[in-house]
Amino acid sequence: MKKSETSHRIVLTIILALFFLSSCAHYTINQPAKYAHQNDSYEFSNFSQSTDADETFVILTFSGGGTRAAAFSYGVLERLRTIPLPGKDKTLLDEVDVISTVSGGSFTGAYYALFGDRIFEDYKEKFLYRNIEKELTFRLLNPVNWFRLASPYYSRIDLASELYDKTVFDSLTFQALADKAKRPFLIINATNLYQGALFEFTGEQFNYIGSDILSYPVARAVAASSAFPFLLAPVSLVNYPFPPDYEIPEADKMAMKDYWINKERYFSAINNLIFSDKANHPYIHLMDGGLADNIGLRAIHDLYVRGGIRKKINDGKIKYLLVIVVNAKNEPPQKFDLKESPPGLATVGLKTCTISMDNYSFETIESIKQLFEERIKAQQYIESCQEQLDKHCPDSYKLPSMSGGQMKLYVVDISFDNISDKDEREFLKNLPTTFNLEKEEVNRLIEAGGRLLVEHPEFKAFIEEYQ
Amino acid sequence: MEYLLVEFDEQRGVLIDDIEEGFTNEVIELETGTYLISLIEPKDFAPESREIILRRTTATRPKVIRFEKV
Repeated sequence: MKKSETSHRIVLTIILALFFLSSCAHYTINQPAKYAHQNDSYEFSNFSQSTDADETFVILTFSGGGTRAAAFSYGVLERLRTIPLPGKDKTLLDEVDVISTVSGGSFTGAYYALFGDRIFEDYKEKFLYRNIEKELTFRLLNPVNWFRLASPYYSRIDLASELYDKTVFDSLTFQALADKAKRPFLIINATNLYQGALFEFTGEQFNYIGSDILSYPVARAVAASSAFPFLLAPVSLVNYPFPPDYEIPEADKMAMKDYWINKERYFSAINNLIFSDKANHPYIHLMDGGLADNIGLRAIHDLYVRGGIRKKINDGKIKYLLVIVVNAKNEPPQKFDLKESPPGLATVGLKTCTISMDNYSFETIESIKQLFEERIKAQQYIESCQEQLDKHCPDSYKLPSMSGGQMKLYVVDISFDNISDKDEREFLKNLPTTFNLEKEEVNRLIEAGGRLLVEHPEFKAFIEEYQ
Repeated sequence: MEYLLVEFDEQRGVLIDDIEEGFTNEVIELETGTYLISLIEPKDFAPESREIILRRTTATRPKVIRFEKV
């Protein structure tokens, strides 16, 4: 009798403990900012650099696509490390100033930004060759986690985030990136579910939600960036009241006058200022960055037209601007066109998620190419007008020069479409979006990333024209 | 993109929406929109600032605004 009573008590204690665990389970909450400039050290405009660091301004963007994207972008990093810059005791990798990442690409970008060259020693074993999906499944099957998952404030994405935090990112926060005081500046992109707009893990963005980015775990930002709809739940953030000395940026106030003049600028400000409405938006729920931009280029586009890159150009700091877009877009075989009956709900759901991502990616790359072409033409107009004036009117009027001078700009878009060999192209395009690829598949992706970089005509032009 | 020329008697940093960006007497590249333009210190110029709409300009025909030294 006594024995039975004891075992009942033990069971009751375990159940109570698990209920307690369940009620305690909560996602990692972002912290409020105590003062207005708390995020300064992780803002693009304040990120430390040596005096000549901007002359050759290199930007990398890493797309989504699970391990396929992570390995493909790793291949690009590995190859950049082998390319010396003429006349300088540096490689091209040393010149990388910004990495903007989405989903699978966020793992590689964040790992390199945090650990630098260590990526070439341990990243393959630590992430690329791992079966992350299996490890996540084991965690889901652990009964302790069932009780945690019963909490409304804890979900599958929090389990995933914990796994990334402990086994990939050494539990580091954005403070570690700020403390490095060394480029590249990392922009991890997620999507704000409410507006469907981009949410960047930067000091500037966290200022709008009255929060401190420095104490936020990098792994949670990566988890938000890769929270694919349906498979994983959103990552939630608290939208805090502004610190007492905070002021809304003047650029946002001015942009609010631009509804009829420039809707893109106007809505960009709207997307920033929506967080000022703390009463109606006390929380923010983030999902895969690919929903808003699957190649990480929108953040760069915005920095070019209205942010810190434009400022650097107008301040005359950049001579060479090189943007390398690493797009691991796949195209797995589909058979639904062979049947008369329309595809099922699962296929339609998946296509709905990915079609817009792919179309938008294409448009974004073309848009940045057009912006660069426009800049080059503007430089040429001024130069050729001056030449004509000098030729026909000696001692003529000198046209005002353009801020930034005769800058050189390049967009290198790397994708599987660039591969001329049909078999290889199809092999890589057929790889699924998963966190579990075979070692051989990973190695082929790494090799392809590096090779496609150096074979790209724009990259060759950059190397040739670089002095 | 649009083009703005801020004329002043000397080379001076330009304030665009309260952020220092580009210099006087050079063509500055900006996106279409409304801007608050001023110069960095010393405050020896007039007017104190100007709100402008930047639209339909080219590199060879930028919008020109002038600050006078006082």
